[in-house]
Amino acid sequence: MTTQPKNDYFSLVLASTVHDMKNSLAMLGQSLNHILDEHNLNDPSSKIQKDVGIVQYESNRVNNGLMQLLALYKLENEQLPFSPSYHNLFEFIEEQTIILAQLLEAKNINCEICVDESLDAFFDANLLAIVIENILGNAIRYSKSKIIISSKIEDHLVIQINDDGMGYPEKMIDLEGDYMLGINQSTGSTGLGLFFAKQIASMHQNKSKTGYIVLKNGGQLNGGLFEIHIP
Amino acid sequence: MFTLANKNTLIIEDFTVFARSVKTMLYSLGNQSVEIVSNAEDAIQACRVKKFDILLSDYNLGESKDGQQLLEELMVFGLLSPKCIFIMLTAENTSTMVMGAIEHQPDNYIAKPFTAALLKSRITKAVDKKETLSSITQNMDKKNWLEAINQSRLTASENPKYRMSCLRSEFKCLKKLNKLDDALNLSLKIIAEREVPWALQAVGEIYFLQKKYDKAVGVFKNMTKKYPMNLEAYDCLAQTQIALGQSIDAQETINTAITKAPKIVKRQKTLGSIAEENKDFNTMSNAFRQAIYQGKHSALSSPDEYVKLTYGLKNLISHNGRDLSKDKLVVEAEQTFKQLESKFKNDTGTIIRSNVAHAAFSKAIKNKEDIDKYSNHAKKIFDDFEGVLSPQVSLEISKSLNEIGETDFAEAIIKEAIQQNLDDKDFIKQISNFTQDKNLIQNCKKAAQHNEKAIFYFSKNDFESATEYFKKASTISPKNINIALNYTQALLKLSKKSKNKIDILHSASDKLSELNRMETSDSRYARYSELNRLTQIMLSNSTLR
Repeated sequence: MTTQPKNDYFSLVLASTVHDMKNSLAMLGQSLNHILDEHNLNDPSSKIQKDVGIVQYESNRVNNGLMQLLALYKLENEQLPFSPSYHNLFEFIEEQTIILAQLLEAKNINCEICVDESLDAFFDANLLAIVIENILGNAIRYSKSKIIISSKIEDHLVIQINDDGMGYPEKMIDLEGDYMLGINQSTGSTGLGLFFAKQIASMHQNKSKTGYIVLKNGGQLNGGLFEIHIP
Repeated sequence: MFTLANKNTLIIEDFTVFARSVKTMLYSLGNQSVEIVSNAEDAIQACRVKKFDILLSDYNLGESKDGQQLLEELMVFGLLSPKCIFIMLTAENTSTMVMGAIEHQPDNYIAKPFTAALLKSRITKAVDKKETLSSITQNMDKKNWLEAINQSRLTASENPKYRMSCLRSEFKCLKKLNKLDDALNLSLKIIAEREVPWALQAVGEIYFLQKKYDKAVGVFKNMTKKYPMNLEAYDCLAQTQIALGQSIDAQETINTAITKAPKIVKRQKTLGSIAEENKDFNTMSNAFRQAIYQGKHSALSSPDEYVKLTYGLKNLISHNGRDLSKDKLVVEAEQTFKQLESKFKNDTGTIIRSNVAHAAFSKAIKNKEDIDKYSNHAKKIFDDFEGVLSPQVSLEISKSLNEIGETDFAEAIIKEAIQQNLDDKDFIKQISNFTQDKNLIQNCKKAAQHNEKAIFYFSKNDFESATEYFKKASTISPKNINIALNYTQALLKLSKKSKNKIDILHSASDKLSELNRMETSDSRYARYSELNRLTQIMLSNSTLR
């Protein structure tokens, strides 16, 4: 009875698979918390916390990767909703740090938000959230003890994620946008996160300007610096 | 400080283990009163029994209704208190807005998996927004558009964070007040700053209402190109294309939207109607088939899609007479009639409609016996029918009756429809081609004029002249419910200052008793019963003295 257009089948299968896998991830996380509670292992000083942090970080990564894949697939097929709107930037950033709070705590990283609380900006919050969550997740992975998320308005909005890690490899910075070339199976760098960030940035357009991302070394914490420019 | 401690929360989630984990999260946030149900039907039942403050519903609820259908039914049945927060739990955070053309949006979305801290953040934000905007929504619910505009401006100045929501409300109110120029200026001003999708669409909507169809098409086409997943723009574009007489283009437009989201019943029905106009009976049948299929769990499904499917199948058979698939189509049509008459068995109007459609279908498959069987059945029910058929249904029925040669019956239906809807000028114009009785139309026009005049006098508090003209209108058109109600209302007013108080009240009571078999589902029933109550009170007061 139901007649679906052909190219919709894969999208449906992909969406339901992602749904299913995300349910599994949710269960994993929940079971882990349960185990920790049951065995009174929630003491932050406990040695097990490091492993817990790893489990949380990895499941977060899987989840984020799934989201990005699905979004990219939809983008290719003109099925990705793009609905930019005005948002309070501070609240938006704060929410991304809330999502990763457990992870920040587990790795003992201090994450500071230096954004004017009254600042409203125009962007698609759903899509940018996936980007920020991914970049922030990476920053947590590579930083030693501190991350600063800041913003500035030049003639457009710039969101910056500074970490105090080793910085991006020169090779990656040199790619200047061709992040798919950065695929390196041995280091585990798939290029997905940056490719996705670039795609989402470029969906944001205003008058004749198009959004973009920039990778730098240095920044406020003398580590890696990721910038997303939203016109 | 916002607290969850005193809130009643309902979780709707078919995945029990996950539901329990959300419950644990809520406990950890201090929320003690949490109930869990696993499907939409149970959720509706729970909401009938208890007023919840927070509803957390999964979007995918397995076989039956989904979270969006649940929200719609709760809204339509009035089961959500104005303060209740509805948060949709989704699998992906890019699925919001996909639906398009949905009237009821959840207060917030949250993508799985999520942490307790994020859940708290989303609930807090939804509550804050709802509370901040409540003075606007309350006025809009009461249709106090001017006051709602005042509140929008006030709220926007005090809470710059919600400026856009306030502007959107202001736009809606201006549109309701038919202040189209102001509404257009407001939306143009917003998009001059940034191209906010809803404001861009709003510009097109106003062009449409101003009948500047070419400009509207330009706006909507631009939107579908830039925001291909904003499906409401396709609906608007198709509507404009129809206004321009481009029904083939309109069909293609709606079709594109449907490929992107096939689950929306309303859009499938639109496609079916456009395809009917285009005589594309294959698409027509398929669209109504889908409308039935997608709405099968919904309490809001209507007889329309069933009846229209049978007409689509009938046309398919008539136009491809020797096709091998004919037998299959006949079986499908018979099944559809069966489902229709069992699903809406208490709706007499629909049973009449179904029997007439069935007779017309029997003609297409050249079954003479069934034509008579079903048309006689319809006639028998219609003779005792006290309800009112909608204008469009009357038209559909009389067309089919003419087709099968039941011209007298068709005329009776039309006569009734004209009497009931004589104030609907477009409809009278449309239906006048279907009746031979030119006198009827003339009389109706007269009755409508009397009615208009009477309303004018009523508004000037001249109840004597008002009653006089309502009486004239009612004499020409005794079955018209609107006129009868207007007439009694004027009589009640008149009686207050008159010496023949009791006589006047008696004639009001007589007029109302002619309507005493009005169906309680009729939208005018509330007015009827209130007038009835007043009349009886006034009568007993004056006879006592």
